Amino acid sequence: MSGTRVRRSAASAISLRSVSKGYGPVRAVRDLSLEVRPGETVALLGHNGAGKSTTVAMLLGLVGPDTGRALVCGHDPARAVQDGLIAAMLQDAGMMPGVRVAELVGLAHRAYPSPLPVARALELAGLTEVASRRVDRLSGGQAQRLRFAVAVVADPEIVVLDEPTRALDVRGRAEFWEAMRAYAASGRTLLFATHYLDEVDENAGRVVVMAKGRVIADGTPAEIRGRVGGGTVRFSCDAGHGAFAALPGVTGVEVRGERVLLRTADADVTVRALAAGVLPWRDLRVTPASLDESFLMLTEEAS
Amino acid sequence: MPHYIKIEMLRMFRNKRYVIFVVAFPVGFYLLYSNLWGSQVDKTTGLKGSVILMVSMAAYGALASSMMSSAVPWAQERQSGWLRQLQITPLSGWAIIVTKLVASLLLVLPSLLLVCLAAVLTQHVSLSVGEWAGLIGAMWIGTIPFVALGLIIGSLLPPDTAQPAAMVGMFGLALLGGLWFPLEIMPATMRSIARALPSYDYASIGWRIVAGEAPQLSSVLGVLGWGVVLGALAVVAYRRATVRA
Repeated sequence: MSGTRVRRSAASAISLRSVSKGYGPVRAVRDLSLEVRPGETVALLGHNGAGKSTTVAMLLGLVGPDTGRALVCGHDPARAVQDGLIAAMLQDAGMMPGVRVAELVGLAHRAYPSPLPVARALELAGLTEVASRRVDRLSGGQAQRLRFAVAVVADPEIVVLDEPTRALDVRGRAEFWEAMRAYAASGRTLLFATHYLDEVDENAGRVVVMAKGRVIADGTPAEIRGRVGGGTVRFSCDAGHGAFAALPGVTGVEVRGERVLLRTADADVTVRALAAGVLPWRDLRVTPASLDESFLMLTEEAS
Repeated sequence: MPHYIKIEMLRMFRNKRYVIFVVAFPVGFYLLYSNLWGSQVDKTTGLKGSVILMVSMAAYGALASSMMSSAVPWAQERQSGWLRQLQITPLSGWAIIVTKLVASLLLVLPSLLLVCLAAVLTQHVSLSVGEWAGLIGAMWIGTIPFVALGLIIGSLLPPDTAQPAAMVGMFGLALLGGLWFPLEIMPATMRSIARALPSYDYASIGWRIVAGEAPQLSSVLGVLGWGVVLGALAVVAYRRATVRA
């Protein structure tokens, strides 16, 4: 690709078509298909061994699929890496010891065909103030943002982050996501693999849940919660405990003294039935299913 | 790539261990030894001790530098995952290894030149322009087998074992190669080991040049042969090390 780069030339930023990858007897990714449009912020969710890292490695051309096809901005992944269309922050990717922050970002800057200015990448990552610090003397959060700067300096269409906030403290995580949201707001595609579900709720427009090398759910965070359904209905009631399980929608009942907790597939239906009934309940609260609960239920279903 | 080479060198100069062991040691020992034995004259070549020691210490410095700047940093980068990060940039595997090689070779120059400079300034060693050029050129390019050995160590071992392995390799090659003590005072078995080592051939080239003679063909072939063998092994080890785990 020469001269000016055509942005968003391909309909899909990421296109995985029936890809499979095995390591010996282990089938890491099985017949996985995934299309990501430009500008989407996608969280890739799954337990360890669900196939997330292998999927990421295929997008970066580090491993080739055994069958199926992976395309990044319409190109072969290795080519997309060469052209700086996709850049990534890998899990635990190390830094070159003994160099300064700006030097390291400058090194990456020179490797790409149409990079951002180093100062801009440092600014995006919130590292301007520590530009002349040695990379081995950064805090965990700063080091992680440096990895982001090394990727973002490519000015890529797609940034891939593999468990970016692992081993960060609360403040480090908050600072990291602040930088990430600012970047996503510029219209770039962001794909991140994570275990932390609160991050997904706040930072992803779309959630792809993987289990055993397959996609088992794909939608907005609200849709994923909705797929598992309803949530919980809590109230106080000192009579008629035997009748709760029979209420419409109820999938589980917990009673502690007079506090009752109903798990339900459809909170509306359950609450209507409660209201129409004669039981002396009071102090009613409805909570939607958390993403944590949805994720656990989805992955349990799949196993 | 020039920028990458520059950064590789900068970080080594910031490394105290490198500066002390590799740059300061050979010069320091040269000053010490040449004051002790500098005026002794070697009976077979007629060379003064200060000249022979200059070659020995320059050879030691170059050998140490070429192994220290390759083995340990390389092992660290592999383990820390920096190499994996580099693999997902447009830099090719070849660009990475060539950069390492060039940076290591350039890093040989400070110890080599400083020892020669110390010899000129303190012991008034004087050689013809041609001899200086030949000596420095040969001693510089001749470190290729040692850089290759360093890359082999760095490719195969984790950092905590690469460090002692490089040290043992470096001191072993220096001692057995006759850089610290002349071969003549060694027992016969050690002498025959020395003659098989690239470090002895390497230093011999230097000793012949300062004596105003052409290097022996066997020395040149020795360094070349080791260079080819170790270079090939380094390529194999490098490829093995960079295959994604």
